Amino acid sequence: MTDLLFSCLLKDSPMCPITVNGVEHQVPARLSVAAALLYLGNLAIRKHPVSSEARAPFCYMGVCFECLVIIDGQHKQRACLREVMPHMCIETAMVGVNP
Amino acid sequence: MSKVYDYLVIGAGPAGMAAAIEASNAGLCVLVLDQAENAGGQIYRNLGQVGIQQARVLGPDYLVGKPLLAEFMAANCDYQPMAQLWHIEAHEKGFLVVALVHGESITYVTSHLLLANGAMERPMAIPGWHKPGVMTAGAGQILLKTAALLPKQVVLAGSGPLLLLLAQQYRAAGVIITALLDTTPKSNYWYATPWLMAGLTTPKQLLKGLWLTLVQRIKTPYITGVSGIEVLGEECVTGVSYTVAGKVYDIDCNLIMLHQGLIPETQMGQLLGCTQVWSENQQCWQARVAVAGQTSVPGLQIAGDAGTIGGAYVAQFNGRLAGIVRANSGVATLSLQKRLLTLWLCLRVKQLHWARGLVDRLYRPADWLSEPSSDTIICRCEQVTAGAVTAIASRGCAGVNQLKAYTRAGMGACQGRQCGLNLAYLVAHAQQRPVSKVEPLTVRPPLSPINLGQLSRQTEL
Ligand SMILES: Cc1cc2nc3c(=O)[nH]c(=O)nc-3n(C[C@H](O)[C@H](O)[C@H](O)COP(=O)(O)OP(=O)(O)OC[C@H]3O[C@@H](n4cnc5c(N)ncnc54)[C@H](O)[C@@H]3O)c2cc1C
Ligand code: FES
Repeated sequence: MTDLLFSCLLKDSPMCPITVNGVEHQVPARLSVAAALLYLGNLAIRKHPVSSEARAPFCYMGVCFECLVIIDGQHKQRACLREVMPHMCIETAMVGVNP
Repeated sequence: MSKVYDYLVIGAGPAGMAAAIEASNAGLCVLVLDQAENAGGQIYRNLGQVGIQQARVLGPDYLVGKPLLAEFMAANCDYQPMAQLWHIEAHEKGFLVVALVHGESITYVTSHLLLANGAMERPMAIPGWHKPGVMTAGAGQILLKTAALLPKQVVLAGSGPLLLLLAQQYRAAGVIITALLDTTPKSNYWYATPWLMAGLTTPKQLLKGLWLTLVQRIKTPYITGVSGIEVLGEECVTGVSYTVAGKVYDIDCNLIMLHQGLIPETQMGQLLGCTQVWSENQQCWQARVAVAGQTSVPGLQIAGDAGTIGGAYVAQFNGRLAGIVRANSGVATLSLQKRLLTLWLCLRVKQLHWARGLVDRLYRPADWLSEPSSDTIICRCEQVTAGAVTAIASRGCAGVNQLKAYTRAGMGACQGRQCGLNLAYLVAHAQQRPVSKVEPLTVRPPLSPINLGQLSRQTEL
């Protein structure tokens, strides 16, 4: 977790429960998974498989593939293209396996 | 036996929506696939859903898309959002398109195909651009449009209208812009002067652009003539350094957004064997496309920014034209009204593309960006540096595709979307030949990663 670099204008929108690396969080509904992770203060979300350096989503529109996470057990999901769903289970690869 | 669509449109941006409206109004069986959650494309992203506060910040050019979006939602066509296209190929009945929808792989068959999948941002490879805390200006805008997420403080760096627009939107939302580092070479203003004539044919847009530029220059810490930008920091961004008139400066920051204009997303067309040409004006490869979207592959059209970067209006006109032409292919007699509309659309598309020449020339990327320092990561997926690429290229490798085998550059998950153009520039420099003579990276299926579990859950429509 890093300091919150971003803040959200949506103050009274409905919230959606999601699990990130085993911990439950509430995020505004209808966010993309990548935006939700940023909302929660996760800037870097994976370690590069070659260099082990921390990496973060770069384009948020599906072209850079820097945002790969595991969603409900499915590997290699682009977090910027998936919308959060209630009880979605997201695993980022800052520790352990790479998606 | 699977269903065969008359027209499958990829992308629900202004181009795709307009084409689908025209084709379905003419009675064709149309399907629109888009990987985003909502229709609208890049410019009108999330327009149907945004809150009042976001709309205020995003400005009038954003809200102007409402009627088109409403017309599209009311049109009699199938629309599948959140469809991640991962394969596309020629088929005896036309084309086969395979997309992942909710984790399931679905195959669609269509007689005619329109690629309206838009543009991406030109990758701005500078030292440290792979560090957490660096993202594109487009990303910043997407976060604002879809999630109402705003940074507290940011450095904007690069060149092009989208960077200025984001600065304007961020300022309206109270974001502190620590600096706007403008990399536009001063000589561009001189070279762009002959294009003023073209720009004057769209006076309203020209004035808007001038106003946008002037306001940012006055209201933000705007620094011109910037080169040699480097992102500082080990794990995350801690600052940025840059050069102006030979002097190096540093600023502290945790977040930097880069932009260097747009380039068409050509991968799908390439996979289908569309002829690609180098555009000197837009400094990128593009499919060879006629005014109504026709390509070198029969039955395949490309419209909007996926063909040539033109912006929202031209994308919409271009899409409408593509839809009308598709609906009337094989129809010998067009009504007079349709004929006049087609003629008018053709003229508008040509005029707007010409007018765009001013923006293209003014914001052409600076030369230093195509010669990154040797430690700059070029291929983010495979972590290949510019130095490694140049070393192989100067030993005489045939081009970017051979380079791929030696360095793995371009072999990662993004399929060279983030490195292809910069690899070509490096090869061109190392071998002292024009970049237009370096052939583009070839594209191989799948267009995006797919796992076996998803493959086994195949459905035919
Ligand atoms: C990040 C970004 C922000 C922009 N913001 C502005 C702005 O604020 N104002 C402005 O005037 N112009 C903006 N532009 C320029 C924009 O490209 C045009 O104005 C206009 O949106 C082009 O319309 P289009 O229909 O050609 O493509 P787009 O609007 O880009 O629409 C393409 C659609 O195709 C979909 N798509 C792409 N690839 C796939 C795939 N593989 N599978 C399925 N669907 C796919 C996308 O989700 C998108 O909805 C922006 C461009 C980008 C890249
Ligand atoms: S952030 Fe670039 S693909 Fe998701």
